[in-house]
Formats: sequence, structure tokens, C-alpha cells
Amino acid sequence: MSRPGFVLEVDERTPPLLMHQGEGFRLERLPLGSKVIYPPDSLPGLRNVDTAIARALLNPIGIEPLPELLRPGMRLTVVFDDISLPLPPMQTPDVRQRVIEHVLEMAAAKGVDDVELIAGNSLHRRMTPAELKRVVGDRVFRSFFPDHLRNHDAEDHSNLVEVGTTAQGEVVELNRRAMESDLVVYVNITLTAMSGGPKSVSVGLASYRSLRHHHNVHTLRHSRSFNDPANSAMHHSYERMKDVIGDHVTVFQIEATLNNDTFPSSMGFLNKREWEWNLADQGRYLGVKRVNELLPAKSRRRLWQSTAAPYGVTAVNAGVPSEVHPQTIANVHRQQLTEVRGQSDVAIFGLPYICPYNVNSIMNPILVMSLGLGYFFNLYKNRPIVREGGTAIFYHPVPGEFHPVHHPSYIDFFDEVLTESIDPVVLETKFEEQFATDPWYIQLYRKSYAYHGVHPFYMWYWGAHALEHLGEVIFVGGNRRTTARMGFKAASTLADALEIASHTVGSSPSISYLHAPPLVMADVR
Amino acid sequence: MKIRDEVRLLRHGRDWRGRSTVPRSADPWVQSEEERDFPTAWARTRPAVVVRSALRRGLLRPVTWSQTRPVVEGVEYLENLHGPAVFVANHSSHLDAPLIVSSLPRRFADRLAVGAAADYFFDARVRAAATVLFFNAFPVERHGSRRLRSLAVELLDDGWNLLLFPEGTRSEDGWMNAFKPGTAQLCVSKGVPVVPVALRGAYAAMPRGRNWPVPGRPRIAVRYGRPLHPVEGEGFRELRTRMMQAVTRLAAEEELGWYGALRAEADNELELPTRPSEGGGAAGWRRIWDSTRPSDDGPGRRVWTW
Repeated sequence: MSRPGFVLEVDERTPPLLMHQGEGFRLERLPLGSKVIYPPDSLPGLRNVDTAIARALLNPIGIEPLPELLRPGMRLTVVFDDISLPLPPMQTPDVRQRVIEHVLEMAAAKGVDDVELIAGNSLHRRMTPAELKRVVGDRVFRSFFPDHLRNHDAEDHSNLVEVGTTAQGEVVELNRRAMESDLVVYVNITLTAMSGGPKSVSVGLASYRSLRHHHNVHTLRHSRSFNDPANSAMHHSYERMKDVIGDHVTVFQIEATLNNDTFPSSMGFLNKREWEWNLADQGRYLGVKRVNELLPAKSRRRLWQSTAAPYGVTAVNAGVPSEVHPQTIANVHRQQLTEVRGQSDVAIFGLPYICPYNVNSIMNPILVMSLGLGYFFNLYKNRPIVREGGTAIFYHPVPGEFHPVHHPSYIDFFDEVLTESIDPVVLETKFEEQFATDPWYIQLYRKSYAYHGVHPFYMWYWGAHALEHLGEVIFVGGNRRTTARMGFKAASTLADALEIASHTVGSSPSISYLHAPPLVMADVR
Repeated sequence: MKIRDEVRLLRHGRDWRGRSTVPRSADPWVQSEEERDFPTAWARTRPAVVVRSALRRGLLRPVTWSQTRPVVEGVEYLENLHGPAVFVANHSSHLDAPLIVSSLPRRFADRLAVGAAADYFFDARVRAAATVLFFNAFPVERHGSRRLRSLAVELLDDGWNLLLFPEGTRSEDGWMNAFKPGTAQLCVSKGVPVVPVALRGAYAAMPRGRNWPVPGRPRIAVRYGRPLHPVEGEGFRELRTRMMQAVTRLAAEEELGWYGALRAEADNELELPTRPSEGGGAAGWRRIWDSTRPSDDGPGRRVWTW
């Protein structure tokens, strides 16, 4: 049986602990008494994923079995999560491919001709044909690309439809093809408790008009955390939108959960607890680290980006989104949740090389901020790991690099907007509209492979709760120029960071280190 | 960071095998290492037997005999013994196995397999490989913590002699402890003879905690007894008692002499070993005191004078 997650208390018997630091990693000796939050051991993957998928499709929750929903002459739209899930991308065959193939087998058997496949990429960049092919598999790609396998276009107004308004006045504007279908099948991977469920359709197929109701500073400040849907204002908005969508179209949601096999066997030490490293793990640590440091920056990035996770699928569930999702969340918690007693003065996070928005790309400073203060800070239930007014210490070099094709609006956001203000409310009220409606950004989003013009704002809002909560943010090994631009501090070493933090948390603060990835979510009591 | 500093940081708190100490708070979550049986079949191949025989005669015996002064008695009882047999001995030192395998006649020594504690000799691969090569060792599960399929039956079926230490572990104080029933059960079920062997002086020469004999070539008595054949209808408990009596008597010959020990046994004056938990007999210090009494036989440590 897999071991549950646990909280280590650093003592003199604790070996140096691993920290991710962008496209690299290091060992760090934490002060005695520090708490280290480890995830549960990776759960065993399903032995036969195909059987599990078939069982889920034939025994869905709250809806008829999929074959009964299919009939000749119907309009079927299959939507799937885009490249932002999972992280790192999983080794092929992707579980989405397996699910889609099962769905299409059933559709073919029932004589459904009108089938469209849409990547639910929302305001993310379009997926390239190669990326689409990797997710859906060769057979599906050949059968449907390019006419019937495509990316969602949130700026193609002819292919958007306003399906209604929630009781709170939130406009629900979504992909027309999906909303005018007889059945939408959504194929999801729930990597963290944030994704899946009502979020899938209401975000993945939405336009800016619709997204702005939940992707804003107010909801994100009141999402505590956004990985805990019951306490997330953002998820409450998704729920309201889901009801409007449910009145309009039938959504059959298939959700898969993954285990914590995040790194391939060549880097297996990254999946293990340090005191359990054997000689081979230590040799690999030294070897991989050395080679990684000696590689030119481009090759290093290519190497990391080509890493595919040997994830095992822990469960596949299907049904109506509101009923299937609680089961999915329970499975995510089974893999990621660790109970922690009490908050600490300082929280330490080692930020890895990847976040949802730099797959096959570059993690620019805004994305580092969103990964640290957004995703990692919000890996909690009940209360944040660090107390209000405490300090967050992140390990990341925060290089001032941007991908000019993928993140053009980020460059302007960093150079022109952050120099004006770093206050999310000011950014939202003063600059968001301008970036969201800029025709050049819209053109790049639609025709090139750029994230939408408004996307860097959302990334900043992602950290709004942390910015409000924290007294100090320090990046160990961070570039001084980029961190200063974002209003943070840089330190060379952990000792320096703690010295800087001593002004806000004193000279002997309590420290918690969230040992991720593999992903762990702290249930702070 | 320089590679040397990196290695130093990585090695911090780890032993030469790269094993780290486990943080106290992680103790409840320590996972027992994947239990794989160390392969031993290779040690029973013809080339391995030849190599082991050469190592025994060229290295093990000369080194043991150079560091201790073994007195071997009773080998003549083995002359008429044919077929596989189980040698059982009291166990108080790591010297016991080298002394027995090096003092046995070659026809037994070349076809001998030694039962070794799975949790001690087979926990590290280097130690396991050396033990298997030198002693044709096979793992014996002592604590029943996992169900290791014992090779003993298979080895007897294949005609191998076994050397087993039925106490299960080295004595803490040099005195013999009660035998565990497994060896007797094995001999009764397979109908194989048991050869009792008593070692005296091994504890004084190299007790627990030492990895080399004490200086001065201490005397060690290795005494073989007449083979005990399980008799028709005999249960393993009876055979176990006979084994303990035989080894106790052989050990007592050190003080009482051969005939004196026989007489003492006949008069029921020999005290059979008990489990340490059962107490009885002498106090702990007296047992150690007795076990470490220097032998008055022989020259002892040579002292050079000018």
C-alpha cells in the first residue's frame, strides 16, 4: 500500500533536501525544526486503463450510458483539455487519446457522422498540429485534422454564442459549435483539485466576455484557495455558469486522475524522499545535475521540455460534471493531500521548470510569479501554509526571458504595465481592457500561437490572494532586475533570504517547505 | 557549485554505502527495502565449489589457524557417516563457521551449505556475496518477519550437508542458549542424522562486537560428537533435547574430560541450556566471566625479550 503524505521535522539526522529551481535543482540544508510537507507516495496506476474507460462510459453518474446518448444524425462535439494539462506532459499514449478513441468507437458504432473535436484552450495559445497529434493520437488526428479537429477560438465572434446570464449577471458566452450540439463530451485530466468539473466547459470554451466574471482580482482574492472549490469564489462562479450551460446542452464529462509518477526513471530520485536515495539515485543526481549545468541554455530547455511523465491513471469517472467531479476530487486528494498542523512564519517553495503556460516554451518572470504566488501558494485547504504577514521564499532564477511568439503581450505587460504599478486592482481597472481588446494581440492569438493579450493580467491576478496575504516575497537565486520589477526581493542563499525575512518574521521564524513536485496539497489545520 | 562541494553536500550524513540516517519524524514511514532473495544457486555450481575449496584451504584455514589455536577432536566419528547430514553447533562467535568448515573432512566440507541469518548476512549485497562464496551460505529467516522459503529441504534433497546454529543467533554471554525447534523438525521430517558440534573458547577469542580475534592465538576447542539418528517414532522435541544434551556434554568435556562428561550426563548433572528469558542458572556476569576464562593450556601470547 502506498504511504500517506507526512510532515517531516528537520533534525540532525535529516540529509540535505532537494529543491527544484527552474531548469535545475539543488540540495539545501534547512534549519533544524523546519517542517517539510511531503506528498503521499505515488498511488498504483490502473492495470487496464481501457477497461476502466469503457466501464466509466457505460456506467456514468447521473446520466445515461454514453451509447444511449448517441444516435445517427446528431451533432456530437468532443472537447478535450489543452496542452496545459498534465504537467509535465504525459508519456504517450495520452489518456485523452484513449478516452477519445473509446468515445469515437461508440459514436461510429451508432452511426454518428457529425463529429467535431475541439481543444478547450480558452485564451491559451493554439496548440500546434504536432501538439494536437500528440494528445489525440495518430488515428484520431488523421481522421479529423484539420477540418474537424481544431482549437477553440475565443475571438471568432461568428463561432461564439451567448447562452445566457447567471442570477448574478455573469454573461455565459461559449463556443457556438459546442453549444449547438446535441451532446458535448468533455475529456478532462484533473491534475489538481482546481481543474475539471464545472470549470471545464465554462472556461475551456469561453470568450473574454465570459471569463472576466471569474478571472478577476475580486474572485481570486476570495478563492481560498482556488484548489479548494468549496471555498473558491472562482469555482462558485463556474458552478453558476454550469447551471446555465446545463439548461442549454447536455454535457457528458469524463475525468481522469493521475498518480504522482512525475519524473521518468532516469530522474527517479526526484520522485523519492532524500533519505531513501540509494547509491544509484545519488549517482544520477550528480550526473543529471552536472550535465544540466554544463549544457547550453537552449539545449537545457529542450531537454527539460522533452521530459514526459510516466504517469499512471488512478481513476476514470464519467457523468454529469457536478456529480462526477466530487469523486474526481476525492481521488486527487487521495494522491496529493497531506495534513499539516498550524501555519508557519515562512513558507519555502522550490519552483520547477514548468507551469501550465510554458509547455514547449519559456517560463518568463510573470509566469514564475503566477506559478509561485498562484499555483504553489494556493496548494492548500483551509488555511495557507504561511501565516498572514509571513514570508514566502521561492527558489527560481527568474530569468528575464520571454517567448516572443507565445507570450508577446507578456513582454509589454512586463515592460510597460509593471513599471506603472504592481497592484492587481490598478492593473485590472487601468490596463486590462486595453490589452484584452488590442487588435494586434487578438490577431496573434487567432492566427499565430500567442496567448491572448489579457493573459498576463490573469497570471498576475492568480497571485492576488498571495500578494495580499504575504508580508514579503523573496526569490533565492532570483535575477535582481526582474524580481525588483515585480516588487519582490532576490537573495543569493537561503541564509540571506532568512536574514531579509527577519525584518518581518523575526530571527527564528517557523518554517515550512512544500516539497513539490510531485504535487502535494497541504490541508492546514 | 564545484563538483567536490556538491559531492560533499550529497554525502552529508550518509555512510559508505550511501545510506542516510532516517529523520526521527520519518521513522514511522520507513519502508522496508524491497525484499529480494539474494541468489545463492551459483555458489553450488562445480566451479564455485572448486574456488571455495581453494579459498578454504588456501585462505580461510591458514588465517583462522594463524590467529587462533584450534584443537579439533572427534572427527573420527564421521568416518562411517554417509549421505547428507546436519551439523549443529553452539554459536557464540563469527569464528564458529570458519572453524567448523575448516576442520571438517574434505568430503563433508566440499558438500556443505551453511545457514546464515537472512537479516544480517543478506541485508547488504557485498556481505551476502562474500558469505555465499566462502561458506556456501543460504539465508535463514530468524524472526519470522517475512515468509522466506527455506532452502534447507531442497539442499538436503540435493545431497548437501548443512551446518546450522539452532540457537538462532550468537550467544550474548558465551553460554549456550536453548535450541529453536526448526533444525530438529527438519531432521525428523527428512530422517537425516545430526552431528553435534561443540565449540569452547570461541567467545573468548572473538565475542560479539569484535571483527577480528583477540591477540595471542587463543585456544579454541572444536569437538565433534557421534551422529544422532532420528529413531522411529521420535518427535522433533525429543530429538531437540538429545541434540542439546549432546552439545552440552561435548562442551562439558572441556572441564570434565570425556569420561567425566559422560558420567555427569548419566548422573543428570549437566544443566541443559535454557532461553535467556527463562533465567535460571548463573547470573549474567558469571556466565561471561566463565566464557572468557583464559585457557591454561599452551603457551599463550608470545612475549619477545631482548
